[in-house]
Amino acid sequence: MVKVDGYEVSEGLYYTKDFEWVKVEGDKVRVGITDYAQKQLREIVYAELPSPGTTTKQNEPYGTVESVKAVSDLVAPISGTIEEVNAEVQSKPETLNEDPFGKGWLLIVKPSNLQAELANIMDFDKAVEWHKSLAK
Amino acid sequence: MEEIRQIQLYNVHKQMSKLTVFAGFEMPLWYKGITPEHLGVRNSVGIFDISHMGRIMITGADSEHFVNYVITNNVSIIPPNGAQYSVMCNKSGGIIDDFVIYRLEKEKFMMVSNATNREKDHDWLVKNVGGFNVKIEEISNDVAMFAVQGPNAEKTLQEFSTEDLNKFERFKCGYSRLANVEVFLSRTGYTGEDGFEVFVWNASVNKPDYAVKLWNTILRAGKPFGIEACGLGARDTLRLEAGMCLYGNDIDENTTPLEAALSFVVKFQKDNFIGKETLLRQKSEGIKRKRIGIRMIEQGIPRSNFEIYSEKGEKIGRLTSGTFSPLLKQGIGMGYVQTSYAQEGNSVNVRIRDKQAKAKITSFPFYDPEKYGYKRKAFS
Repeated sequence: MVKVDGYEVSEGLYYTKDFEWVKVEGDKVRVGITDYAQKQLREIVYAELPSPGTTTKQNEPYGTVESVKAVSDLVAPISGTIEEVNAEVQSKPETLNEDPFGKGWLLIVKPSNLQAELANIMDFDKAVEWHKSLAK
Repeated sequence: MEEIRQIQLYNVHKQMSKLTVFAGFEMPLWYKGITPEHLGVRNSVGIFDISHMGRIMITGADSEHFVNYVITNNVSIIPPNGAQYSVMCNKSGGIIDDFVIYRLEKEKFMMVSNATNREKDHDWLVKNVGGFNVKIEEISNDVAMFAVQGPNAEKTLQEFSTEDLNKFERFKCGYSRLANVEVFLSRTGYTGEDGFEVFVWNASVNKPDYAVKLWNTILRAGKPFGIEACGLGARDTLRLEAGMCLYGNDIDENTTPLEAALSFVVKFQKDNFIGKETLLRQKSEGIKRKRIGIRMIEQGIPRSNFEIYSEKGEKIGRLTSGTFSPLLKQGIGMGYVQTSYAQEGNSVNVRIRDKQAKAKITSFPFYDPEKYGYKRKAFS
């Protein structure tokens, strides 16, 4: 874990410019929002997530997170079929603020085109550089 | 692009809060966060800097008659050191602004208007002076204004006031001194809670010393009560829970006070006032739509502009405000629906993006008035 201007970036993950992270776990991926995203949103009070069995498409919205005042789309980092949805963030949305890279994960997806799509998003080193540019 | 203006305490807030531009002013949006600030006010006390609001003095021999001609409420019934909520309308009954009007002396009134309408209100008053013997003076830039709100607001100010603040009943006001600074105090607010609004005289943007001193004194005195500095974010969620309108969202020149469920500020017994004929006609013909509260039954947070549907699936209205209620922990909103659907308890659906979510039409305030708000039972 490194901190760029107060925002955590975690090693071993891939990142999108829609502020989501992807962790490859065997033949599946785990998806969540970044520390930067949760700090920008603050006080997340609601997460609307799709049901298991539905599909995601890279760069397309699959749900929303809301703070008291604002609504943000969740944009899929990877295409595939949703296998699991984190029920804890639906019942306790503040988990997204407390632990965005851990307990605050959102989806487990069975990817349909993983290698090609990972090439479209940022690895850790690129994500650190990108966070530095955000801080400016 | 309009020039961005600063309020007296800009440099103080810049250190303490996340700023946002509202109505052309750089204002605190939040300090700790909307939720803790909101709950701080409901449970104890909070302070807001509301120096961006408009303050207009109306003086002169005809001031009472003039004010009664431009506003819909009746100021003749308030004595000096009294205040009243009202709106003023155009000829078509559309709301020019909503505000509190203060009677400082028999022939001296102060209108405290929405920041968005500072110039518009002043121009409207000047335009309608006609033959009335009155003087209209914009004093906004020389006055800072704080709201100290919550069940511990009086105790907080009493810590350093030499006057017994208990004598200020709700909607009473008067000149006073706080921490050796000349102020005008009123027992009013925009949160639904008991509390005061404090006008700091002689505090311009170039000479903010008195305002800074008082802000710091209030924060210090409120410390034992856990006072929260509050931004516009909490101000909006608090007023919405209390069922109060935000001009530009819930009311504007295309809505009348009758539609907005504000008929309690329209006094038809008065002589002529601007908009009276249209409003009388609307009263006798009946209104087609009415402002209502919405409380979500199903998951989801209602937001401004979301559509409201009947259970049968007809579109019956639209939301004008919506939020997640930090107190009730659920989605609440207000908006307009066709009058026939406007009954409390009616089930409706709110279209949240691509889903229909169940909601109920609710009376204001959204919270239990026995537990929260200025009417609450004894607070300890």
